[in-house]
Amino acid sequence: MVDVNKLRETAKEVISREDVRELIGYRPGTYGFRARPAFVMGPDEAGELIFTPACVNNLASYIVLEEKLPVKRGEEPDLRKVAVMVKGCDSRALVQQMEEKAYERDRILVLGIPCTGVVDMAKVEARFPNILELGEIALEGDRFVLSFNGTKEEVAKEELLADKCKRCRYPTPLVYDELLDSEVERFADDDYSDVEEMEKRAAEDKWAYWEEKFSRCIRCYSCRNVCPMCYCEDCVLDRLQPQWMRRSVDISENTAYHISRAYHLAGRCIQCGECQRVCPVDIPLMELNRKFYKDVEELYDYEPGTNVENPPLLSTFKVEDREDFIM
Amino acid sequence: MAEKNEDFEPNIVAFLCNWCSYAGADLAGTSRIQYPSNVRVIRVMCSGRVNPLFVMNALQQGADGVLISGCHPGDCHYMQGNYYARRRFNLMRNFLEYLGVEPARVRMSWVSASEGAKWKEVIEEVTNGVKEVGPMDQFKRRQLNW
Repeated sequence: MVDVNKLRETAKEVISREDVRELIGYRPGTYGFRARPAFVMGPDEAGELIFTPACVNNLASYIVLEEKLPVKRGEEPDLRKVAVMVKGCDSRALVQQMEEKAYERDRILVLGIPCTGVVDMAKVEARFPNILELGEIALEGDRFVLSFNGTKEEVAKEELLADKCKRCRYPTPLVYDELLDSEVERFADDDYSDVEEMEKRAAEDKWAYWEEKFSRCIRCYSCRNVCPMCYCEDCVLDRLQPQWMRRSVDISENTAYHISRAYHLAGRCIQCGECQRVCPVDIPLMELNRKFYKDVEELYDYEPGTNVENPPLLSTFKVEDREDFIM
Repeated sequence: MAEKNEDFEPNIVAFLCNWCSYAGADLAGTSRIQYPSNVRVIRVMCSGRVNPLFVMNALQQGADGVLISGCHPGDCHYMQGNYYARRRFNLMRNFLEYLGVEPARVRMSWVSASEGAKWKEVIEEVTNGVKEVGPMDQFKRRQLNW
């Protein structure tokens, strides 16, 4: 686990640097076991930063979401770095963003956190409902220790661990300037068993499954807004001319929305699972993303967010790509 | 899906590239080759022009099947457009199949300007394939009758 004192000291050092504008990290939430993002602007604010298994957010999103206001005449643009705390999965978002030339490497300062897995808040809340006081989660060996209301509970790691962590291939950040702890060995792998099971079903079954899921969608666009890869200034979903999908909430437009969202992440999704985490109606969005992830790996031997030097998948081709589906 | 209806005549939207497939279809026409009239042709400059969302949109707006056709690999007028298209549609096709849209509805072919006879075969195969799976009723836009 990350030593919190070391974390705060490093953060203080980093934010004191002349060339760093702000630091994005985690701090405790207001109730329950939640942690929330912290935007640290000065050294005196670095004292409340934490890292626990409750730090589920992918902070890479904030780097690209920040609005770039036009610079006034005679003023210089603020080119100072943004420092960001990233787990293994979040670091892949940074890699993918840089692969797409969203920004240059020297615009960010990465504080890497070797991660041993985070909890799934839904699972925690199902197990310990209605905790209004601030509690804490820590990982000790293969058990999560939850302390709240003066009591301590131990739960096996498997029970509360987020699903994405059970198939995490890169627990140690792939890109960092400073590593806050010693590297973590890979402890899981992805076998795509869930996608394969879905693929084997009959077409009617598949559609019946997805029709039920998509019909629940209320089109809040949370999944798009939270996604570290969804940073187009002019999103296809907001366009009126051409209007790709209408705003009405019905099965046709919802399906169109989910096809577009998932397709725009083909070869780009880095499996951080944020879309599914924020979904208010529990649509299994990762199952859509994982289908593309699997296909891309199998057909084109490409894994998004692993190498800054890779060209983006759909803007390249190989002459020998598969074409057995073509008449 | 729906029960097999012998009278069902599908609507098939075909995106043809200007340089090969459109000319191939034209050749089929000038050579008086008979092929099913279910296909509605949209000419685009290159198969690489076809946005995968076109497929989704066509299926939403009442197409029962979509065909994308371009030049054979290596023959693209723009050198590489069809290679990009190939990657995109392989993923789109697999994804739609994953959602429960039959793969027979989304097809891709290479038809060159001299292949009027192949164009006929392609259209026959696509039309029969779509007839087999019946009308598109998964996420077609519902018409509102006020």
